[in-house]
Amino acid sequence: MKKEIVLSGVGGQGVVSVGEVMGLAASLYEEGLNATMSASYGSEARGTFTKTDVIISDGAIGYPNIESPDIILCLAQVAYDRYVDAFRDDTLVFYDNEEVTPREGAKGEHIGFPYRSEAIKLGSIQSANFVALGTMSKKTGLLKPEGCMKAIADRFAGKKKVIESNQKALQRGLEL
Amino acid sequence: MGKTVKKFMEGNDAMVAGAIAAGARFFAGYPISPSSEVAKGAAKELPRHGGIYIQMEDELSSMAALCGASLAGKKAFTATSGPGFSLMQENLGLAVMSELPCVVYDVQRSGPSTGAATKPAQGDLMQAKYGTHGDHSIIALAPSSVQDCYDLSITAFNLAEKYRTPVIFLADEVIGHLRATVSIREPEPGEIINRKAPAPGTTQKDFRPYDYSGNMPAPMVGVGDRNLLMRTTGSTHDEKGEFRPTPENIDRVTHYLMSKIEDHVDDITITREYKMEDADTVLISFGCSVRSSMSAVDLLRKEGVKAGMLELVTVWPMPEKQIRKALQQAKNVVVVELNMGQLAGEVRKYNDYGCNVIQANRTDGVLITPKQVVDALKGGMK
Repeated sequence: MKKEIVLSGVGGQGVVSVGEVMGLAASLYEEGLNATMSASYGSEARGTFTKTDVIISDGAIGYPNIESPDIILCLAQVAYDRYVDAFRDDTLVFYDNEEVTPREGAKGEHIGFPYRSEAIKLGSIQSANFVALGTMSKKTGLLKPEGCMKAIADRFAGKKKVIESNQKALQRGLEL
Repeated sequence: MGKTVKKFMEGNDAMVAGAIAAGARFFAGYPISPSSEVAKGAAKELPRHGGIYIQMEDELSSMAALCGASLAGKKAFTATSGPGFSLMQENLGLAVMSELPCVVYDVQRSGPSTGAATKPAQGDLMQAKYGTHGDHSIIALAPSSVQDCYDLSITAFNLAEKYRTPVIFLADEVIGHLRATVSIREPEPGEIINRKAPAPGTTQKDFRPYDYSGNMPAPMVGVGDRNLLMRTTGSTHDEKGEFRPTPENIDRVTHYLMSKIEDHVDDITITREYKMEDADTVLISFGCSVRSSMSAVDLLRKEGVKAGMLELVTVWPMPEKQIRKALQQAKNVVVVELNMGQLAGEVRKYNDYGCNVIQANRTDGVLITPKQVVDALKGGMK
């Protein structure tokens, strides 16, 4: 088993945090799984395109970058447009259906949710990323929800309020 | 067995964890992309372990401080990238000449000069060996995974202590910033090498901090020792550490600095093989390019090509024996690296077998893809 997951959006949407939580969940709370994560690194600023490549496998992981994702999350139009040509027929495309307009005829199974709006309803616009993780976890079964909950607590250790709001967002995603 | 903990961590953080596990308790440096997380981690972790972190004014003084700390008996390290590594070369030579164990982490980025500060490259392979002037040998290790960043850090300090030499940890931006699942195993006391001290009761009259008669370093004491005075100088010196520029002494010191490493190449060399048993096409690589090569081997195997990979973990001294074996075994060898062919030149030096040596290089600040490696092979195949 090997899954290549791209998390994309703009700076500030927390795609790196979600990648870290997924990597932690796979490494610490699943049996026999390895993960790698490589994030864009450069002089990008808040509001410009950013992405994180997460690979989860039960074997060794070679090349750590992703060219054609099995699963992709697009939280912003700029991110969707950047990747749409790399989608395959069996790519699962999770996207914010109020922020992103899918291209007509694009490959991939498109799965849209109003991530940003749901996060605002929960009182924390920053946690749209974890609403998205909840929907991905539910649809793909790749990472157990309990593992993701624990990984959020690990990643944000010492920040009680952040843990609570992100776990709440994850739970909302699991219910959508 | 030491305690093992599973973690999901970044390469640069794993380097700090490995250095501390190896017994390092001193860091002096000047943060620079893409190595800055090593300095950040050292600043956070060293004081918790009774160690010292100093942020210096530049890399010249950082390397000088490393020499001083090592001379005072500490296991010391620094972390830098291209521009800083260049500034460290002068005092790196002092560490070679004075035989001061220390580890220099070079998280390589695109150069020359400021270059592309956040982009990966592997252009410092030659600088690691030849950057400081004068004849000498050196040890350099290249990690290809986050696990390596931890495990090989312990190896690097052990080799530095055993051979009283600076060791270059030749990482790169890809591996430094990669996060991955790792097993952090606390080493047993027996797995940690510490520099040899003079026999108890040694008097100043008998104390020789240098030994040029064989190919292993003499025991040393820390500067400030109560009983023994440790002399050293960057100038060519004798067994007592006193300046002695006679032709005979210059010659034996030069030969010694080479042979104390080159004579122990089998002990120092670490290589790994991937699907090499029946390979007639061999990829040779180091550092981040190993990751692309490994995936390229899998792609080629799917196409029916008998491909394998030789990974050089120790890059200096160059693993001549293993490279020769690959050149003898294969019809085509592809040397995969993020530079214009620094390793390829070394591989060609040993090609007495008529093997077709092909280069797969990428120099635009992006990790070479497995497909580019396959294409390079197909383009140059005989």
